[in-house]
Amino acid sequence: MPRLCEPVNLVPTRTHTLHLGVVAVILVVVEVWTLIYRNLRARPIRSILTLLGIAVSTASMVLFMSFGEGLRKALGAELSAVGPAVLVLPEGVEAFSPGYPELRPETLEALKKAAPELGINQVIPYVVLTRGGFDPQNSFVFQGIPDGLSPKALYPNLTLAAGTLTLSPRGAVVGSRLAERNQLGLGKVLRLSPEVSLQVEGILKKSGGLSDNIIFVPASVVQEALGTRNYTAAAVGVSAGFTADQVAEAIKARIAGVSAQTTGDVLRFAERAVRISDLVRFGISLVALIVGGLLVANTVMMSVYERIREFGLMRALGAKQGFIFGLVLLEALLLGVVGGLLGLVLGQAASGLVNWYTGREVGLALSAVTFRLGSFALLVAVVLGLLAGFLPARTASRLKVVEALGRL
Amino acid sequence: MLEAINLHKRYHQGEMEVVAVDHFTYRFPTGLTAIVGPSGSGKTTLLNLLAGFDVPSQGEVRLGSTPLSSLSEDGRSEVRLRHMGFVFQQWNLIPTLTALENVAFPMMLAGLGLKERNARAAALLEAVGLGQRGKHLPSKLSGGEQQRVAIARALALNPPILFADEPTGNLDSASGARVVELLLQQAQEGRTVILVTHDLELARKAERILHLKDGKLVRVEAPAPTLVGASPSS
Repeated sequence: MPRLCEPVNLVPTRTHTLHLGVVAVILVVVEVWTLIYRNLRARPIRSILTLLGIAVSTASMVLFMSFGEGLRKALGAELSAVGPAVLVLPEGVEAFSPGYPELRPETLEALKKAAPELGINQVIPYVVLTRGGFDPQNSFVFQGIPDGLSPKALYPNLTLAAGTLTLSPRGAVVGSRLAERNQLGLGKVLRLSPEVSLQVEGILKKSGGLSDNIIFVPASVVQEALGTRNYTAAAVGVSAGFTADQVAEAIKARIAGVSAQTTGDVLRFAERAVRISDLVRFGISLVALIVGGLLVANTVMMSVYERIREFGLMRALGAKQGFIFGLVLLEALLLGVVGGLLGLVLGQAASGLVNWYTGREVGLALSAVTFRLGSFALLVAVVLGLLAGFLPARTASRLKVVEALGRL
Repeated sequence: MLEAINLHKRYHQGEMEVVAVDHFTYRFPTGLTAIVGPSGSGKTTLLNLLAGFDVPSQGEVRLGSTPLSSLSEDGRSEVRLRHMGFVFQQWNLIPTLTALENVAFPMMLAGLGLKERNARAAALLEAVGLGQRGKHLPSKLSGGEQQRVAIARALALNPPILFADEPTGNLDSASGARVVELLLQQAQEGRTVILVTHDLELARKAERILHLKDGKLVRVEAPAPTLVGASPSS
């Protein structure tokens, strides 16, 4: 029989000398990878179910948060498509909740009169009327613009698919999606109220924005339907040599009863609103995340209890407490990371589905899984894995060898 | 050199105090030492103390000049890793690792490179007659084969001390004989082999037998005549 006492080289290797740092962590991960992988594979159903649990909770978070990202993108795109840089609204009214028209013609006259001094090169008042309910299929947004003016004055990027952009006193230019959805062709009659009817004179090309769902009509028609001479707001162009902020400040100082917002103000306001909604949505998705975290903690804790003798054996053979702690923690972390990645893919797919639906309904991609969101979701999954694995790892590492091996 | 000095271990079972090891003193020389005694005589508790799995209530275990009880949990783990090998009656192997990976496990803990540890693990398996079984999981090995893998693993870092706790307890006679043969070989090669058993026939193969009763060392029997000339390789 061969001799078994062959000498072994016990000169410390890199694993010994590197106790701290990323390299050491990577080395340890690589070393214990087989142990972790084999253990997860030894209990395939449980491992898969846990992964799915994390994946679904991460996916739901990704989807919830993707609405905020989508809104940011859509708003940015919409505002960049607006020509005039300043929006004048009645005081106390926000850009996204215009309500009943309250901007009086006298106020507009005062604004026009003061325009050269205020650095304004054009004033385009408009009036908005919505018809229909919450169902995008049955809701219509009419934007009334000054008679004889092209919608391009407000949205310079608009292009025509058919007809004309120059509105007659009873004419309408219809956004592409709205026209498609309601089968509105040139010459088709639209009834705004029992007394007010319009004829489709132009159909726009698809822009991928809100204008795809707007019907541009003369302002006088909307005012007639609403029984008012007021406007909802006025878009104001900025003269060369002035900035939008300067003009907005000058308007607020000079014209009573109005507020002026630049596209930057609008974006900042929108960002604040989206951020608040982000927090609300994150709060809701946190429930799913906590459930996912408890799932990992439960799986890892069960695994620890099932493997008490194994850990005892490892300790008996010379494994230190930190090794056992790392082993269990890395297992939880691995479940978190793989589940998180899976959740990211699922969330991306769900986001695509939402965008397909909202694109079909309102022509807007309301959901976006950005790099920022993806990184955040992965970070949350990693933290989730670490938190869920901490207690089981601590329990496993503190086992007494004699108790773990059943040697009492 | 492993030495137990006035080793005492007591437990509390409810209100009652149980003395498992009672002022045990012995210096373990190289070669095979068997610890025998009836069930409940304190054999396993003594091995737990000698190996540093547990700490004594009184007295100490010294490895060279180092008292094990002065070390932390991790310190004792390090001592076990570098100086001790273990063969238990059961729960010897990590079930999710192959035989080769089980043997290589202590070498991984010691920080040996993958190539080196795999080569050494393969050589050790070859030496215990399991060269072809390296890729098998423990569940695919017989009890005797599992014990031989455990012996190979115990020798992975060439430790001077080898503990065997009822290593043939669950084996048939042929497998048991093979395991005993391997342990005897280790003793002859200059290791301190401490064998805990209730099997007197097996114990008689040792150079000395320590008889325990109620935790006390009651008799030291030496030498064991069967060891002389028993080496199959000599």
